[in-house]
Amino acid sequence: MPSATDSAARNASATGRGGLESLRAWNRKLHYYLGLYLLFFLWLFAFSGLLLNHSWKFAEFWDSRHQSTNQVAISLPPPGGDLAQARDLMRQLGVAGEIEWTRSRDKPERLDFRVSRPGHIVEVRADFANQRATLNRIDLNYWGITRILHTFTGVRLEDRRNERDWWLTTIWALAMDAVALGLVFLVASSLWMWFELRQKRRWGLVALSAGAVVCGLFCFGLRWLY
Amino acid sequence: MGMNGRLYRVTRDLHLYLGLFISPFVLVFAVSVFFLVHAWLPGAGGAASGRRTVTALLLPANLEELSGRPLVDALKPVMTYAQVAGEIGFVQRNPREHRLIVPVSVPGRVTTVTIDTQTREASVERRTTGLADALVVLHKAPGPHLVSIRMNWWCMRVWQWLADATVYVVLFLSVSGVYLWFALRAERLIGLLLLGAGAATFFGTVYALCH
Repeated sequence: MPSATDSAARNASATGRGGLESLRAWNRKLHYYLGLYLLFFLWLFAFSGLLLNHSWKFAEFWDSRHQSTNQVAISLPPPGGDLAQARDLMRQLGVAGEIEWTRSRDKPERLDFRVSRPGHIVEVRADFANQRATLNRIDLNYWGITRILHTFTGVRLEDRRNERDWWLTTIWALAMDAVALGLVFLVASSLWMWFELRQKRRWGLVALSAGAVVCGLFCFGLRWLY
Repeated sequence: MGMNGRLYRVTRDLHLYLGLFISPFVLVFAVSVFFLVHAWLPGAGGAASGRRTVTALLLPANLEELSGRPLVDALKPVMTYAQVAGEIGFVQRNPREHRLIVPVSVPGRVTTVTIDTQTREASVERRTTGLADALVVLHKAPGPHLVSIRMNWWCMRVWQWLADATVYVVLFLSVSGVYLWFALRAERLIGLLLLGAGAATFFGTVYALCH
């Protein structure tokens, strides 16, 4: 007759197996739930990646841009930093987007900056002495929007002056982070699901190893080889 | 086994094996996103690992007049002689001092070759930039810039092909994944809800960004 300890151990083992089964089932479910939720984001970043890497004629966007220039009267923004003054001007001009500093401010009565959002770029040249601003507006087609969405982060590695300053850029940057994290999860969950399939282990290992060796060669190997 | 059953099994196997092969590449693109989105590069700057001088360079007579791809092509044998391998980047000129500054990169390392066209000497400085930089370089290659000179090293041309392959395989995995999910009747409703929620999030965010 089994002892109470044996029974408890069996129960614990069964509970453990049940827990593992549940985890396995959730791993599988989350793999396709997350894949479905991120589907449109994945398609955008995959397709726009191709557009960025190939100068395809059909996806041309710069030559077909619409450009217009106009002058607008402005009232002097309150004293403050460049960012605060630029934001005040944008409010007056009805322009929204990510501010980009394109040149250093050498005269206090002038403030030049660029406001961009996917598909639209507005160059603002404010002349405080004459209380006028010149707006050079560029509108891009859908190919341009698609390309810019891929890289629209508000910051650049090689440019310390510009910082993310528009809340929608922050939302988009968070979406990019979420897609990247989602991809890492999709890879990890797929590895677990594959490992559970005993009959697929050998060929799966061949495929995974081939990918890891080729990819590792580029990430680590080239700088040792050359 | 019916046609549908066979299609399902073939799609499932292709989804599995292609997914396993491409997963390290997907990780490269996914992890580098964090560095690019937050303009943060651990180990940025890198450590210079020594400087050396190469003498008696065989330079083409018209080197200082060349630009773009012809300049890169003319510099290739010079780099081979100087034992510097990698992708040649944008070449800076200093006509007054008769100097060309040539950045040559291998993922994880940048070598700066400064050529003095009068003395036919070059100083070669290597800087290791690390894994994070290597991932960023690979993520951005080939990219939209310097179209006329990019992919001038055969390894980066192979990478261009692999980057394209990653996209095509990811597109296949997403379409085949939708097919495999749709075959699971019990998961259709919740899957459709998530697909709809994802579409609403995506189009809503893109609309707000663009309008």
